[in-house]
Amino acid sequence: MATMTLYPDDERLPRGERIVFNLYLISAVALFVLMMLLGLVMRMAQGEWLSLGPDMFYKILSMHGAGMVGTMGMVTMAVMWFFLRKYVRLHLWAFLANYVLFLLGALCIIGAIFLGNYGALWTFLYPLPVHAMGLWTPNAAAVFMLGYLLIGVGALLFYLDAAAGIIKVHGNLGRALGVQWLFGGDIDPNHPKAVVASTMVIIANSLGILAGAVVLVMCLVNIYVPQMPLNALLAKNLIYWFGHMYINATIYMAVIAVYELLPRYTGKPYPISRPFVWSWSASCLFVIIVFPHHLLMDYAEPRWMSVMGQIVSYGAGFPVFLVTAYGALTNIYRSGMRWSMPSRLMILSMFGWAAGIVPAIIDGTISVNRVMHNTQWVPGHFHFYLLLGVLPMTLALMYHVVGSRRQAPPDSGADRIGLPVYLLGGLVFTLAFLDAGHLSVARRMATHLPEWIPTDHAGAIGAALIILGMLYFAIRISAGLLRAPADAGRTHAAG
Amino acid sequence: MNGAEKRRLVSALVIVVLASLPPVRRALQSSMTAQMLIDIPLLGACGWLLAMAVPDGLGRALARWDSGGISGLLLASFTGLLWMLPRALDAAVEVPWVALAKLASVPLLIGLPLGLSWPRMGFVVRGVFLAELVATCFRLGWLYLISPVRLCSNFLLDDQQRLGEWLLVIGAAIFLYLAGKLLWGSFGGRGRGEAPQGP
Repeated sequence: MATMTLYPDDERLPRGERIVFNLYLISAVALFVLMMLLGLVMRMAQGEWLSLGPDMFYKILSMHGAGMVGTMGMVTMAVMWFFLRKYVRLHLWAFLANYVLFLLGALCIIGAIFLGNYGALWTFLYPLPVHAMGLWTPNAAAVFMLGYLLIGVGALLFYLDAAAGIIKVHGNLGRALGVQWLFGGDIDPNHPKAVVASTMVIIANSLGILAGAVVLVMCLVNIYVPQMPLNALLAKNLIYWFGHMYINATIYMAVIAVYELLPRYTGKPYPISRPFVWSWSASCLFVIIVFPHHLLMDYAEPRWMSVMGQIVSYGAGFPVFLVTAYGALTNIYRSGMRWSMPSRLMILSMFGWAAGIVPAIIDGTISVNRVMHNTQWVPGHFHFYLLLGVLPMTLALMYHVVGSRRQAPPDSGADRIGLPVYLLGGLVFTLAFLDAGHLSVARRMATHLPEWIPTDHAGAIGAALIILGMLYFAIRISAGLLRAPADAGRTHAAG
Repeated sequence: MNGAEKRRLVSALVIVVLASLPPVRRALQSSMTAQMLIDIPLLGACGWLLAMAVPDGLGRALARWDSGGISGLLLASFTGLLWMLPRALDAAVEVPWVALAKLASVPLLIGLPLGLSWPRMGFVVRGVFLAELVATCFRLGWLYLISPVRLCSNFLLDDQQRLGEWLLVIGAAIFLYLAGKLLWGSFGGRGRGEAPQGP
């Protein structure tokens, strides 16, 4: 069971771990601000507040997509690492290797885009990267994919190290996930939720990375040996198996922060239960097979896969979300919650997750998807749950760690202003996307029709507010993390 | 060298000698599928048997150069890369000294180092190796299936495609085994403060 002490001793970070952990978090908040700025530039360009050529727009869109997904993956792995290391032995070298490979991969991606002019988006859908129409070279596409491979290898090392630690303590991944308690038996109340969630992510995301490793190398072969034509539909399935799992896994890693921190701020235990075990096991299976909901528009996709995509879409996110949201609400109810930045951000994340998956489930319905899939409804959905769901979970941990340095959760006046600015911006920004989807505004378009522009303006204003809030968070968190623990003794547990 | 080690050494040598007999060689190299799925794995298995016959003293001396099994894994991987090239498979059929090089290199530079290094590898290194093995089976299988031309001049297109199908099946089988082992299997070292063996 998660501890009830706000800053427990077993979360203390030795010097080496603290340096690497800080590198993850500070890099992440800096990258988030930069990627958000790119997003603002695109929304302003679509709204004709900024002049931007289509070639530059697609380069920025590629950078924004790959950068956000990668950064979200990196920072949520740091969340998983921070808590999982209390229960199983994790090696610092694996955590550091993941970071270094992420940076090398990011450099490849940045080089491919801004030096090589790659603009085939983060999804590198075959055969677009090799049909550049003279805009970029095959080498640029190859370097972009090499960047993904490096990031994937880093993630695989991290997950394998985590799997080794979990298996050493729990015997195998099935037991760590809690499948032995699905149909009976006394659930061990001390079985950590962090282990259950981490195990689910290890299983699902390793599969995705394997699919990515296959399709990325095949695309690389195709770039240099075009006589080897790939089956575009198979390639797309594998790309979305990889891509969907990678980004979806971020929320399952980030939510560990809620499981671990919420009871400390409410002062009420948040024990593991059979529904909890069921929901994580079900979601583990569903997350692996839900990816066809990205291919509902592909008429050549086998019908059974599309049907599976729709049905599983309803089930994939719901179990874990319901159990988490219900659990969180009952945990908060009459708890005398200690309101501060970490707890506020956790509550915001529950709202963002709840509201963010609704448009996803609607869009996962085949009859709706036929109309909505290529509209801004889809970016509306994923920006909602990433901006207001996943990111607040990670920010909650960051604020918590900053607070641990002085034994008090941060809650300054500036924090209390920064959060509403971020929330307001997030709502305006995401609702502008969803409204645009409702109005059938096409997504991924560099130039917009005059009728679409009001939603672009609203989106740009929302984006500016988000950046304002995020910039404050980034400075506040970086300064807090860089502050050396006042003493290395027991009082600075997480420091 | 104890009795078991001697038996393994003799078994490995007998298999290599048998595999080098002309009728057996012809059969093992009669198709791309047989060469890649029977001939090379068989020779690699001989090397693994040789590794099990290496005396403890020599094994310990080699271990100093093989921390975490990395050196052996790299040697085996780079040699394996060479024998994945269609050109090398062709040459092994056509050029006697290349055939001889294959008979020597696959056991000594793939099977033997892998057999020696495997017990030294931790969970992460084994995991990376096995994940890459599965991915390589899928990639090669896919490539052999889609290639519109023969990659080896000695073997026909249908043979190449059959090999592609087999590689996909083998990749899936290894994957399913590993998934089952990770999810429900037992691993040595649990509760003894040791790194888990496997996957």
